[in-house]
Amino acid sequence: MAIRADVAAQRARACKAFMAQVHSTTAKEGITPSTLHALKLKLVALAKRADLFPLADFAMPDAQGRTYPLLVEENDGHGLYLTIGLPGKEAAPHDHGIWCVNAAVSGQEQHVFYRRTDDGRRAGSATIAKVGEVMVEPGSGMVMADHDIHSTEVVGDRPAVGLALYGYALARFPSVTWFHPEFTSVRATLSRRHAA
Amino acid sequence: MARVKKTYQVTIRNSGQTIACAVDRTILQAAVAAGIDYPYACATGNCATCISKLEDGKVSLLPHGDACLGKAQMKSGLTLACRARPRSDVTINWLARAGN
Repeated sequence: MAIRADVAAQRARACKAFMAQVHSTTAKEGITPSTLHALKLKLVALAKRADLFPLADFAMPDAQGRTYPLLVEENDGHGLYLTIGLPGKEAAPHDHGIWCVNAAVSGQEQHVFYRRTDDGRRAGSATIAKVGEVMVEPGSGMVMADHDIHSTEVVGDRPAVGLALYGYALARFPSVTWFHPEFTSVRATLSRRHAA
Repeated sequence: MARVKKTYQVTIRNSGQTIACAVDRTILQAAVAAGIDYPYACATGNCATCISKLEDGKVSLLPHGDACLGKAQMKSGLTLACRARPRSDVTINWLARAGN
């Protein structure tokens, strides 16, 4: 038990130090493709410290996906989370409305990136085209700017455990926009900002 | 000769319509294809906009997030139309406001 508490304390210190690095970087340069890339490298380095994120401290999901807060700042601060997705867990193409950085602790998650190809004039309707993909696995990560679009799928036969840094805490997320090529539709989930 | 996919009848209480849904399609996919304004957003088990009461019948569920549909909710007869594939004839009733 003492060892477990020690790991939790080490994890908290590491997350705090990481967040301090994030603010140090963004304070100097703002949020740009270059700084997001730098944040990704720092998050990948944190995720490599798998001993800080033992699964004994993070129960597996009942269904297929669960998110644990690691360090959530107040108001419009950032949110750092540990995410667990079981094989097959997926998310349709979506735009968070806010930047994010992901890095893998273990397992594999496929990210596919898209761009919107319609003019957005027809309510509820949208088309998108694939522009790239990346496998997020140990030693790697991915970044998205505020309105980038991606889909995700946990692949392989192991859970995907990862770290996710968002520009806002999940509880203060803006509306998330979901794209459905099958239906050529677009839908939005309500912003949580009014409730936070 | 092409094999015909097995389908079940899905009755959507809110719209009063009964549609055919193949066993490899979700209820949401079949409903949208039939022109029914079923409420949805993520359509992949992450947001719960399509959470519905399964009034009758059986479904199998594709992967989804814990926060969208927990064990207790499933026990009480709730399901996600975007994740539910019919395993019998089904009657379902969406809980969200249409157009969400």
